[in-house]
Amino acid sequence: MAVSRSDRALKSAVAPNASGAAAPSPATAGRLLEVEHLEVAFQVGASTVHAVNDVSFGIAEGRTLGIIGESGSGKSVTARTILGLLRASNVRVGGSIRFDGTELLGLSERRLSELRGSQIALVPQDPTRSLNPTVQIGKQIVEAIRLHEAVPREAAKRRAIDLLGRVRLPSPNQRFFEYPHQLSGGMRQRAVIAMALSCSPRLLIADEATTALDVTTQAQIMELLMDLQRDFNMAMLVISHDIAIAAAYTDEVAVMYAGRVVEHAPTGRLLEGVRMPYTQALLEAVPTIDRAPHAPLRVVPGVPPDPTHAIVGCAFAKRCPLVQEICTTETPALLEHLPLHSWACFVSGPEVAVERR
Amino acid sequence: MAAQLPSIRALPRPAVRPRLSVRRLRLAGLPLDVVIPASVFVLVALACFVGPALFHIQGPSAGNLLATNLPPLSAGHLFGTNALGDDLLSLCLFGGRVSIEVGLGSVGLGLVIGTALGVSAGFFGGPAEATIMRVLDMLLAFPSLVIAATITTYLGQNEHNVIFAIAFFTVPAMARLARASTLKVRDRDYIAVARISGRPPRAIVVRHVLPNIAPQLMTFSILMVGTAILIEAALSFLGLGVPPPQPSWGQLIAAGQNVLQTQPWFIFEPGAFLLVTVLCLNLLGDALRIRWAEER
Repeated sequence: MAVSRSDRALKSAVAPNASGAAAPSPATAGRLLEVEHLEVAFQVGASTVHAVNDVSFGIAEGRTLGIIGESGSGKSVTARTILGLLRASNVRVGGSIRFDGTELLGLSERRLSELRGSQIALVPQDPTRSLNPTVQIGKQIVEAIRLHEAVPREAAKRRAIDLLGRVRLPSPNQRFFEYPHQLSGGMRQRAVIAMALSCSPRLLIADEATTALDVTTQAQIMELLMDLQRDFNMAMLVISHDIAIAAAYTDEVAVMYAGRVVEHAPTGRLLEGVRMPYTQALLEAVPTIDRAPHAPLRVVPGVPPDPTHAIVGCAFAKRCPLVQEICTTETPALLEHLPLHSWACFVSGPEVAVERR
Repeated sequence: MAAQLPSIRALPRPAVRPRLSVRRLRLAGLPLDVVIPASVFVLVALACFVGPALFHIQGPSAGNLLATNLPPLSAGHLFGTNALGDDLLSLCLFGGRVSIEVGLGSVGLGLVIGTALGVSAGFFGGPAEATIMRVLDMLLAFPSLVIAATITTYLGQNEHNVIFAIAFFTVPAMARLARASTLKVRDRDYIAVARISGRPPRAIVVRHVLPNIAPQLMTFSILMVGTAILIEAALSFLGLGVPPPQPSWGQLIAAGQNVLQTQPWFIFEPGAFLLVTVLCLNLLGDALRIRWAEER
């Protein structure tokens, strides 16, 4: 109930197809990807791990949504579920994932790969593991191109070199023939992005795409993704544990904790006034250059709750500085307390932004 | 402050003596630890297959009854002759053909069938995986020699059946390795990316899984050829391998057993062939395994 309220508001909030590029069909005028009440549970032996609980969000064409959270908050599971990669027999998925109006959950593997193959692409986290070490990078891109289009090898090769140039890989003509181990991490990630773009996807999922890279490369790759997003008019789902990345590169942010979205707002609004204490804690954990030298880094104290046990009350209660009695007995719903800005907390209301320390 | 610290240029250069090891030696850019065993093995194989024709060595059963039980280094009979006057060198060379054919054949069979079973089990999982692996585990639980002996006895003693019998041991061993390697590769992101982009599973296996597990399989195959040759020799020794008059190393060793005290070379000669061949294969396999592990 509560979730659907915030959902409706978000629908009206996100401008459809902001870049104004020619929309292929009227159906795409709405949100490209809609996730509603998504639940994912893993059966591990006798216990059930609820990895994702009642998560809803949407992304319009050409926009970027960031999903932020620490390890184990369910953000990668959410991404993998959208991609249809979780097909093991011990996984149960509930809710709905609609891509361009088509329900993805319950589709057969064949139909799913037809649908997502040329429209959804993934940039995985670790560029050392996302390219086949035994095949030249150019060849891998050519194969990706020819998988979806019946183009002659030569034309595909030209396209691949062009793509390598567009992801700003230096001297693409030579790099085409190199193997992944001959490239640096940042260069490999560029090659991975080129491969992801080879089918001109409408949705790009970047699952911690910059986590394995150093900070300067990280910024370059994110800038590159932003530029490419504009060029290709892609929707992007950026998954990260780094709230700084979300702040700089997204239109909208959903903060996840213990498998739930705990705060959700357009990025600007969120940064103006964070309400959920967990988001606040994440913000404070970002090291800044004006902190006193050698001061200990701020961390969020404690650990996330064990997902094998049912959580009573607010999942963050044990670590929350503002915890009150109600937090340990009842679960706060994600409510839209302010226009477009929803959060799940009993304590912080619309009038008091969480105190900045 | 930094100015007072000694520069490393002023420090005496440490005397680093490069450690002498075959692994670091190279000949014409080729690593010796691979080249030496590989070339010795190739030499033995060449000697067995083209040597007799090349050096006009008589056939293994073209013995002259006037020249029996000659000692080694006799004129025309480098290795000597046996009680029937058959040339021992010829017997060793022709016997080697059987060993090498059986070794390569049974491992080749194991490589093809075992990889197919192991990769499909590892990649697709599910009940098929459980069934395949449990059946193969059962096969592995039998002592390889006993099962090979049973099969050749049952099917009849000839070279094909020996290959087939030893494959009963190479197939499950190879399948287990193929499955384990596949499991390691299966969760790599490039396979997720390939699946997302709609590549059919068979293409993923051919393009992404097989090339990445090939080094392990090749290395293991080479080691296994040595084991297969030993099993073949054991079968022949027990009289369950290829039937006479076709010679084999194990058979020759068994024949030499009776005259060990008076004519020990009857055993040493085929034994040396066996030793050199298996040793080369093991050294080669080990060298490749180490090299491959270092590259990771």
